[in-house]
Amino acid sequence: MNFLKFITKKIYLFIFSLFLSFGFITSSYAVDITIWDLSGRNGQDEFYDNLNKEYKKINPDVNIILQTFENEAYKTQIQVALNGNDGPDVFFNWFGEDSARLARAGLALDITPYANVEGGYGNYISEGLSNTTAVNGKIYGVPNTSVSKYFHYDPAFFEANSLAVPKTFDDLLNLCRDIRAIDSSIVPWPLGNSERWKLNHVITMLNQRVVGEENTAADYNLSASEDELFTNPAYVEAWQKVVDLQDAGCFQDAPNATHPDLTRSMFASQISPMIYCGTWCGGIFNGEGFSDFSYFRFPEVVGGAGAATVGFLVPSGMMVSAKTAHPEIAAHVASFMVSDDMALQAAELMGFMPSNPTKIGEMSNPTHWFNFYVNDIADKTGHVNVLDVLLEANVSNAYLDMGTEILNRTKTPQEAMDFIRQVALEAKAAM
Amino acid sequence: MNKNNTQTNSFSLSNDKVSATILLVPALIFCTIFIFIPAIGTIVGSFYSYSLTSMNNWKWVGFGNYVKATQDEYFWVALKNNFIIVFASIVLQVGVGTILAAILDRGIKYGRVIFRTIIFTPMVISSVAVSLIWLIIYDPNVGILNAIFKSIGLSTPSKGWLGDPNISIWMIMITAAWQNTGFMMVLILAGLQGVSKEVYDAAEIDGATGVKAFWYITLPMIRNVLIVAILITTIGAFKVFEFIFVFTQGGPSNATQVLGTYIYLQAFNLLHMGYANALSVILLIIALFLGWLQLKSSRKA
Repeated sequence: MNFLKFITKKIYLFIFSLFLSFGFITSSYAVDITIWDLSGRNGQDEFYDNLNKEYKKINPDVNIILQTFENEAYKTQIQVALNGNDGPDVFFNWFGEDSARLARAGLALDITPYANVEGGYGNYISEGLSNTTAVNGKIYGVPNTSVSKYFHYDPAFFEANSLAVPKTFDDLLNLCRDIRAIDSSIVPWPLGNSERWKLNHVITMLNQRVVGEENTAADYNLSASEDELFTNPAYVEAWQKVVDLQDAGCFQDAPNATHPDLTRSMFASQISPMIYCGTWCGGIFNGEGFSDFSYFRFPEVVGGAGAATVGFLVPSGMMVSAKTAHPEIAAHVASFMVSDDMALQAAELMGFMPSNPTKIGEMSNPTHWFNFYVNDIADKTGHVNVLDVLLEANVSNAYLDMGTEILNRTKTPQEAMDFIRQVALEAKAAM
Repeated sequence: MNKNNTQTNSFSLSNDKVSATILLVPALIFCTIFIFIPAIGTIVGSFYSYSLTSMNNWKWVGFGNYVKATQDEYFWVALKNNFIIVFASIVLQVGVGTILAAILDRGIKYGRVIFRTIIFTPMVISSVAVSLIWLIIYDPNVGILNAIFKSIGLSTPSKGWLGDPNISIWMIMITAAWQNTGFMMVLILAGLQGVSKEVYDAAEIDGATGVKAFWYITLPMIRNVLIVAILITTIGAFKVFEFIFVFTQGGPSNATQVLGTYIYLQAFNLLHMGYANALSVILLIIALFLGWLQLKSSRKA
């Protein structure tokens, strides 16, 4: 009997302590919002620390937890995580086919209802920008920045050798030849295509300049008829321009075996006088000790169907997981990231081209490259998204593969386009 | 008395069975959760078409994914590369491992432990770390391999060691051999040390020494160890993933694609999860066959 009493007492004690614990938990109820972002951005840790602090001022019970991932690995991990039950609440994405696919699959949350609530993203960014994330009229993301690409060059080298900034594609070819004539060991334009996307960015621009964005649209979204899909001969011409660049000695010998990081270092250490690099590169060059660089746009292709005033622009930002337990708070956190003060901090700390430019004038000591990027993006008459974000996955992979083949000369431009057309036809049939 | 004994025996027998079952249950639970259920899921999934972003929309295709594999040029490239890796691994890892083991066993008198440790060391480094180090060595712009070739007046591949589709797979093989030969050497060395010295003494009297003794005495005596080493290498070669993924991700132009990386490409980049499942089942069948062979030869050994 004593034993039974002893056991009963222990059970009561256990239940009592359980109630106490529950009371303790509920009294300090807090919401964790996990954000997944790419790693390696300058000033990223400071930005997210500040985001957490600032957000706590308006919502003290919310903890923002940042988890970062390497660029290439992220593309796979985010898909796996969103299908599981332990994924992020808010996550980074590039806005294009990648983000649209997640929306269509029901893995991303429709955040249209949160646009115009208090503190909603609709208060901070333009409708046009929000629409870059739209699928069937619903908004699935909050763009917080955009990336573009420019030729960065070493003006001291250009001046010392009386070289001029190229205005046309032929000028660019001649520039490469002139640099090789000065010293054949100098690589005019180092190209690191070991991950395949570097040349993909170049062919994105060449397609725009040669084929023209109006002519590519139906092919890119696979809405062109089967007889016409990717049959425009200008696509072959665009690939031929890559061959021309290689023949003019622009690139180093083995672009497919060279990592993009190395080519950035070649430019930053002034081994090479120019590079086609994104708006994230200015900070990297500066970090590696070279800040006296200048820039020019991807040159015009004379006779091409696309305007030289159109540029490369990939909007990116945050999406909300459809599986988040706190959709309202998650959407609010994503919106808060583009609020006036946080957009300013993103620009100052991480060099973002902010989607909310309200306080851009208040930036303390903006860098010369930041000013250039912001002003030039605003000056452009139109933008094209990059092919590896824009195209259907199989067609995108075909374009990436053909870039490697063209550089290795294992396929001609015509053979490359025949292959891409075949893949596009199969992708269209599977839709 | 006899009756009692029989009762005791049958009781202890059933008691043993219960104990054995209880002891097996945790392992069975883990195997079921982490091996059997995913394997069955993979086999079932191979008969459907679906993607990672459309998990709720499975479309029955029957054997369509298997038929697709037979018509897929890159599947055959990947399978061929797996066989190339098997062949090269056997030659480089087991072959060189055997020679090194023989040298350490009977060829040198001093420093055996030091040499054994040095040769075995790469084995304890992660494959990803090894790949990243060799990636720098093979770099066409700043890599030491190019510098060595140029310093002795030799030309280097213009597309780079890893950028040239004709040689990239072999460069990866060299790295894999560098890492794994030490393990093969230790395995074979253990076999060699099991060979009685008296056999060599007897052979010496009959005039068999040096290479002759190695060929006619050593190799036949360690035959079973060599079979196990070859099977371990073969299975490893079919499972290869990290080296290829870090070095080339199957490129350039799918030249270094193996089944492991091709399955990854189809599942996570091209979003053909059903097809990736079918390829995984094919790889599973190959691995099961090789595993059966290994088990058979291990028992023999």
